[in-house]
Amino acid sequence: MKNSVTSAESRQRLFEELMLPHLNAAYNLARWLTRNEDDAQDAVQEAYLRAFRFFDGYRGGDGKSWLLEIVRNTCFTFHRREKRNVMSVVFDEASHTPAVSPPNAEEALVKASKRSIMQNCIEGLPDAFREVLVMRELEEMSYQQIADVAGLPVGTVMSRLSRARKRLEECAKGRDMESDK
Amino acid sequence: MNCSLDLIEAYMDEELDPGPSGSVEDHLLSCQACSEAYLRFRTQKANIRAAAPYYTASAQLERSVRNASRQATANEPKPVASSPPWRWLAIAATVLLAVSVSWNMRPSPRRTVENDLVAENILSDHIRSLIGTHLLDVPSSNQHTVKPWFNGKLDFSPDVKDFTSQGFPLIGGRLDYLMDRPVAALVYGRRQHVINVFTWPADPTPMAESRYSRNGYNAIHWSNGSMTFWAVSDIALTELAQFKGLYEK
Repeated sequence: MKNSVTSAESRQRLFEELMLPHLNAAYNLARWLTRNEDDAQDAVQEAYLRAFRFFDGYRGGDGKSWLLEIVRNTCFTFHRREKRNVMSVVFDEASHTPAVSPPNAEEALVKASKRSIMQNCIEGLPDAFREVLVMRELEEMSYQQIADVAGLPVGTVMSRLSRARKRLEECAKGRDMESDK
Repeated sequence: MNCSLDLIEAYMDEELDPGPSGSVEDHLLSCQACSEAYLRFRTQKANIRAAAPYYTASAQLERSVRNASRQATANEPKPVASSPPWRWLAIAATVLLAVSVSWNMRPSPRRTVENDLVAENILSDHIRSLIGTHLLDVPSSNQHTVKPWFNGKLDFSPDVKDFTSQGFPLIGGRLDYLMDRPVAALVYGRRQHVINVFTWPADPTPMAESRYSRNGYNAIHWSNGSMTFWAVSDIALTELAQFKGLYEK
């Protein structure tokens, strides 16, 4: 009566139950790490497939950290592959600002420009700083969780986070002045 | 205390224990440079949250992720020649039907008609939790997350323990309804199997355990004088008994 059909099915159900709730976190991290939509989608799909393959090795514990570690590693593998293909993307101001202004006047415009300043500044951070900042400020993860995902000591997480904040502050200040001119 | 930006950041990130956290607060009140730095950090944090987009996955991405794991499952080599997905549903339906007709009776000193009825309900509930979409309300391996989740949802507070190190990791919990009352269902894993533990307040007389088996599913029922417990799973009865042993410690 009981056979491998039921266990494969329940394994898959368990996987969906435990890992799909973190899909947005996975996509958000991938989107910030790859800095573009298509790569992020590919990376998340690939990461979920890998996670499913490694699922037997998941021994309970923090599912979000477990999944994000795979997402992060997948993104960096993608990234390296891309670099080898000499696909270096030139920073293009036009593609990073909304093409069409929102209909609702000045306030929306200011908001959008603030948003794109912050977005550009975070995207401009080196990978090592960007990932800890995104996990801390957008995913609201603890130092320990970030350390688990990035495979770093907690002390290194703290110092990278601190340097990321410093750089971000300088960048945002510079851009703000530019836009005030 | 000396000025330390690291400490101030850790304080802002709520990473400090109450003791050090208190001394940072004291220091912030007396040191202007540090309190300005702290405010700058706070402003930046707020700006990031307000201005940096949180990207969410599209419905299409969710679909393709789901499909991918289903595809991977379907492609896994199986001893059975071909097993289309509907087959599992057919099997589950047969089990449900069989269970609703009769629960296998094995003589046991503590068996009562009432408990057999509960056992039937428990098993149906266990199977429903696996084939439906509602295994977990609170997916967490942290007992300190799962236990408080039940606050205000039940008129009792269930005992939540984690046995990850013994090979029975806590997966989460859900609110369930059994024998005309809301009960706590705690979900544990055992390799790729799922164990449901149903618990609610019991008569004050402690009761020796009773065991039930049916169609490859096993259940153990016990009571500790204040709470009654039902553990049910498709793992072997000996393993389930081992789990119960851990629970009682």
